[in-house]
Amino acid sequence: MSELIKKIIMNYPYFAAFIIFVIGALTVLTRSNLFKKLIGINIMESAIFLMFVAAGNIRGGAVPILSGKNPHTLYINPLPSALMLTGIVVSVSVTAFALALILRLYRSYGTTDLRRIYEMGNEVSE
Amino acid sequence: MISAITTNLPVFIIIAPLFVAFVLPTWAQRKRLVENLVISVEILMLLGTCYLASIVLLQKGIPIIYQMGGWSAPWGIELKVGSLGTFFLLTVAIVSLPVALFARGNLTHEVGGKERVARFYVLYLLLIGALGGMALTNDLFNVYVLVEVATLSCCGLVSARNHPRAAKATFTYLILATLGSCLVMGGIGFIYIVTGHLNMGFASQELGRIWQNNPRVVWMAFSFMLVGFGVKSALFPLHVWLPDAHSVAPSPASAILSGLAVKGYLICLLKVLYNVFGFYLMRVYSVHKIMVLVGMVAIISGSISALTQEDLKRRLAFSTVAQVGYIFLGFGLLNTKGLTGTLFYLASHAVIKSTLFLSAGAMLNATGKKNIKDLSGIGRKMPITTAAFTISSLGLIGIPLFSGFVGKWQLLMGSMETGSILPVSVIISGSVLCAAYLFPVIRIAYFGTAPEKDCKDPNLPQKLALIFLSAAIVFLGVIPGSFLELANRAAAELLVLR
Repeated sequence: MSELIKKIIMNYPYFAAFIIFVIGALTVLTRSNLFKKLIGINIMESAIFLMFVAAGNIRGGAVPILSGKNPHTLYINPLPSALMLTGIVVSVSVTAFALALILRLYRSYGTTDLRRIYEMGNEVSE
Repeated sequence: MISAITTNLPVFIIIAPLFVAFVLPTWAQRKRLVENLVISVEILMLLGTCYLASIVLLQKGIPIIYQMGGWSAPWGIELKVGSLGTFFLLTVAIVSLPVALFARGNLTHEVGGKERVARFYVLYLLLIGALGGMALTNDLFNVYVLVEVATLSCCGLVSARNHPRAAKATFTYLILATLGSCLVMGGIGFIYIVTGHLNMGFASQELGRIWQNNPRVVWMAFSFMLVGFGVKSALFPLHVWLPDAHSVAPSPASAILSGLAVKGYLICLLKVLYNVFGFYLMRVYSVHKIMVLVGMVAIISGSISALTQEDLKRRLAFSTVAQVGYIFLGFGLLNTKGLTGTLFYLASHAVIKSTLFLSAGAMLNATGKKNIKDLSGIGRKMPITTAAFTISSLGLIGIPLFSGFVGKWQLLMGSMETGSILPVSVIISGSVLCAAYLFPVIRIAYFGTAPEKDCKDPNLPQKLALIFLSAAIVFLGVIPGSFLELANRAAAELLVLR
């Protein structure tokens, strides 16, 4: 048992990422409000970003900028952070598109609750 | 000049549609110019792909590795033009050209407004470019980015018709697809954490060495990838978004979504499963058994749901769920025959399902109705459209001389090799169910009482597109030749023990 707790404390960013991921997934799947679903998606994506960035981190490592003055021997891995920059761009564009769709839905149905939108069915004019 | 083009051809094939997609909005007012540009890009892509395929066929399976920017493998990004890549690229090029031709016919009417036509084509070309990239890429993070590009453009295509129902379907699709891409990105993260590589070849080598040290992380990576791509390619319990999204989209969009977009995710899954994990690890973790099981459930339940649908486009959309089941089943068979059959079936289903959606779209457009019973007697008024529908239905059921048969036959042989009777019987009963939900449409169309309303075959570009696709179905069924050879070689390469 203490072994397990020790492992969790040693790898706390991954543990945090896992908890955040579950919170996000639950929000997406259980909430029927469109905005809450979108926020859940964003929370889930942050969890994945955290996991990637944590994977690139090395304890005691320096910023990976090579210069002659301070020769470090240990640098953190910059690749995962660079990848997550792409991930953030994708996440922002998904959010923008989803917000536009929510606006469109609100204009025609008058609500942002997905359950009520489905209850209204197809009897909605253009 | 010529040599510069031929050596950089793999990247040009992906870049050309993306580039044209970004310059199209500047000519949004000139509809003819936009359409001609799209068609010419498609033709160039088809020619380039044929050239690449001929090289790959002549080289006897040695892939062309293209290094982006000249950086070599562990650091740079690679494009791998192997048998699998060219096979899928050919499918994309063959299907997307007639669909673009069909869209020429009455897209203005379908998307509701002339100014929306250029936007539709932008999304269309982005999707084609992303699918081409998926076929060729050999880098895990590129897979994620291309999957996202494809997903966003698919969502845009679903909502191309300015209607609240389309917005509703798009929102559900967007949320579920983003959930799927989160899982895919998580799976890629696990692979990267364990191996330290994003290049598929290097990641696979490293995974083969060290998977025993972190068995649970590999297990997580497997499950994240399977569920992530499963959501995106509408595997049975995760298919809830598909029927709405594919039936509400304009017909060229539903053709490309049901025919190609779903297949793109499946090809990515195939690459991750076989090129990164390798079939040895699949066997160790029993992933293939799960895939066969889920595939069988998808075939039966998708077909039965299709039977109950009255709306023609929804029936075709549910049929896609069933066909994805066949492909999943084939991915899990782990033998050359089964995999060859699956790949061929994947390509032929891409051609068949887009023909079905296009001809259904033309029929529904002419009558102005949505349900199957409203199509009675339309076969005598619209002979070419109904003939295309009939040919593609026969192909989907798997009648000999049509392309679906070749793939299904090999799939059947492959599932017999596993020694279990259940997949064989499910494949056959899936065909019977497929006949059960497609033949009533044909019967009503040919033998129902003729409508009073005057329906005619659609205009020339649409007729040409339907004839081209029907010819492709028959051609692939009668002489599968080098296309089958390419699939066979791709399957053999995927199953090489690393």
